[in-house]
Amino acid sequence: MNTQLPVAVESRRSIPRLSLLRSQWFLLLVVMVVIALFTGSINPRFFRTNNIVNIFEQISTLGVVASGATILMISGNFDISVGANIGISSCVMAMLIKAGLPETLAVGAGLLVAVLCGLFVGVNAILWRAPSFIISLAAIGVFRGIALALTQATLQTIYGKFEGLGATRFFGVVPLIFLVSLAVYAVVGFILKFTRIGRRIYAIGANEQAAFLSGISIDRNKLAFFVLNGLLVGIAGTMLLSRVGAAQPSTGAGIELQAIGAVVIGGTPMSGGKGRIVGTFFGVLLMGVISNALNMLQVSPYFQDVTFGLLIIFSVAISALGRRRGRAPA
Amino acid sequence: MASGDVVLSVRGLTKSYGAQRPALSHVSFELHAGEVLCLVGENGAGKSTLIKILAGAVAPDAGTIELGGRSFGSLRPGEAMGLGVATIYQDVELIDSLSVADNIFLGSERRGRIPLTVDAPAQARAAREYLDLLHMAIDEKALVEDLSAAQKQNLQIAKALHREARILIMDEPTSSLGYEEKRSLMGLVRELKQRGMAVIYISHYLEEVFEIGDTILVLKDGEPVGLNRREEVDIDFIVRSMVGRDASAFYRRERVPLGPVRLKVRGMRWAGVVEDVSFEVRAGEIFGIGGLVGAGRTELVTLLFGARVPDAGELELDGVPVKARHPADAIRRRICLITEDRKKYAMFGPRSTLENIAVVHNEFQGGPLIDRRGERRLAEGMISRLRIAVSGPEQEIQSLSGGNQQKAVIARWMAEDADLYIFDEPTKGVDVGAKEEIYRLMVEFARGGKSVIMISSDMPELLSISDRIGIMRGGRMVRIVDNAGIDEQMLIKEFIGL
Repeated sequence: MNTQLPVAVESRRSIPRLSLLRSQWFLLLVVMVVIALFTGSINPRFFRTNNIVNIFEQISTLGVVASGATILMISGNFDISVGANIGISSCVMAMLIKAGLPETLAVGAGLLVAVLCGLFVGVNAILWRAPSFIISLAAIGVFRGIALALTQATLQTIYGKFEGLGATRFFGVVPLIFLVSLAVYAVVGFILKFTRIGRRIYAIGANEQAAFLSGISIDRNKLAFFVLNGLLVGIAGTMLLSRVGAAQPSTGAGIELQAIGAVVIGGTPMSGGKGRIVGTFFGVLLMGVISNALNMLQVSPYFQDVTFGLLIIFSVAISALGRRRGRAPA
Repeated sequence: MASGDVVLSVRGLTKSYGAQRPALSHVSFELHAGEVLCLVGENGAGKSTLIKILAGAVAPDAGTIELGGRSFGSLRPGEAMGLGVATIYQDVELIDSLSVADNIFLGSERRGRIPLTVDAPAQARAAREYLDLLHMAIDEKALVEDLSAAQKQNLQIAKALHREARILIMDEPTSSLGYEEKRSLMGLVRELKQRGMAVIYISHYLEEVFEIGDTILVLKDGEPVGLNRREEVDIDFIVRSMVGRDASAFYRRERVPLGPVRLKVRGMRWAGVVEDVSFEVRAGEIFGIGGLVGAGRTELVTLLFGARVPDAGELELDGVPVKARHPADAIRRRICLITEDRKKYAMFGPRSTLENIAVVHNEFQGGPLIDRRGERRLAEGMISRLRIAVSGPEQEIQSLSGGNQQKAVIARWMAEDADLYIFDEPTKGVDVGAKEEIYRLMVEFARGGKSVIMISSDMPELLSISDRIGIMRGGRMVRIVDNAGIDEQMLIKEFIGL
């Protein structure tokens, strides 16, 4: 008989415990408010509608990429080729639009390219039982090289065309692309929380062997995660192209690290099996706010990189301290 | 006999984590050179906390430790090691990619003549001496990754010897060893004892405790229940003081009338691992599978469950062939497997107890959306039915005790109402109370007309739970014996092939 702990299942709803993750978002929120108040007191322009809309617009693309990265990281995978994927898919879109193809067709082709790129990483990672980190590292060269060959390394400008997505602002203040990114967060959040594939994402990330022995087909599902990520990257590329009005092979370079950083800041551990989309949302928002605040405070862009690096270390430290505090007795 | 000098004296050790009841409360004992002190108790009784304090990994709230003529309020890891305390944990801590000799000398390498180099030949020679001293047949140049679990354990002992340890703490050293390996470990402990080593030995296996212990310290809920000299007590007494009620190592199960044959296995083969295994299991039968570690038992059930496609062989359930190429195929045919190593093969550690219980249900019922209310109902039902001690269904499974983790993993499969339940070492690392509940469940399955296969290395378990026992040796099922006419000694002889 187990005499150690009382069995407490009678209560229909268990007492909502303040989870570490939740306290992490809360912390992010506090940090954000502090930064905003500080920046606003020095430079009142920070609180102008125009600036805030600007922040939302700037973080939209990153938010969509980070949503895909959240799925992959929870499942224990990485795709660091997403920046190069944005490069090649947005170049394809821009070239087709330039060639006079209807925008929808061009966008469709670009999304297809992005999905195929995701598939390429997934298939190789699964086939060769290799860490997806390495496969996607290799894929960066492949994607960027193809993009360079296609464009002959020239900038593909489509000024005046395909501006609807990037330039639309509802009521003059709410950017359409921000709404798109919110929709993506919502969809990914729904998938993670309410669907069978969401449970598989967590299960495979927590323990792949146990997932296999529970009847989950690992390879098929992993592939689905990579394809889904590819699709989201394609959407991000579309948003970026429409906003900027031009694409080149280096478009999107570096966004993979920002995205992984945002996911980590949001409390998803590198080891997988855990994490929530709300964390990623706040992680992305915090990065946007800090970046904007540094501009407003006229901090040298070099120090912006330093700040982001330290921010990631800071958030990892927070998680580690939380773990240490909450360590259960053995 | 323990007659040497006192090498360790512990007084009033107390430790609590957070606000709960203390994990350890007022534990005192003395340890003499050449004494084997066995530490027993259910999971969560405080054994691990005690050894962590002695190893310097955890600081106690109160109490003193006298070691090497000094008195400490708490130890640091380096201090404990420097004063001759060596701890061998369940999870072996060696570096796989280094050789046996390198591991022994890790952190205290012999310097070569050229600065910054290691005198590898000298290390190898010295390592050989340690290994010979302990009669260990391990090649000092072999890589640790090529060693068996038992050899790794032996290597850790050799390493402790090199560090001139005078107190050896062994935490469940035999839990992953086969019969012969266990015997030789027992011999080794006796040898160390002769040399004046003091040993603190932690084990769930009471037969071992009675074989090598001089004194037995029983812990219950963190408190010392009794410090007994072995000659003065028997197994029943110890079990009683561990659980606080009468219990026997042999579980007396209810016998269930057997029905028709449900499962037929013919010529199952996995080249080099499982050779031509055939057997049948009837409705209401618990079919035990015994054998030494490495006899191919786990591999056999891996084939039955479709986790590996067999090279040859057929499986038939209720007269219909089962073609399982993936566990999902087996699960659809209502076969389930409760695996041996729950951390590695069953638990989703960072996920909630609820998700761990509902995973198979969610995978095989309904559409692409999760029935969140249904899964909660399912999990809560299982938690109360199996008496899983949790603060709520949301509690992370990895924060539960071993027995509760195991029950949660079994609950995953009970939700499926399977026809064939395969248990691989169902009670390994599980405390006595949870053990009995698992046995009760297995009998309940049998009573429901289901077929049960149980792999076990625990002799009393195998003998008291099984209706028949299939004995595996070298990948073959060499004999199937009826439970009625066999005892432990006969079984062991069959395992070894005498």
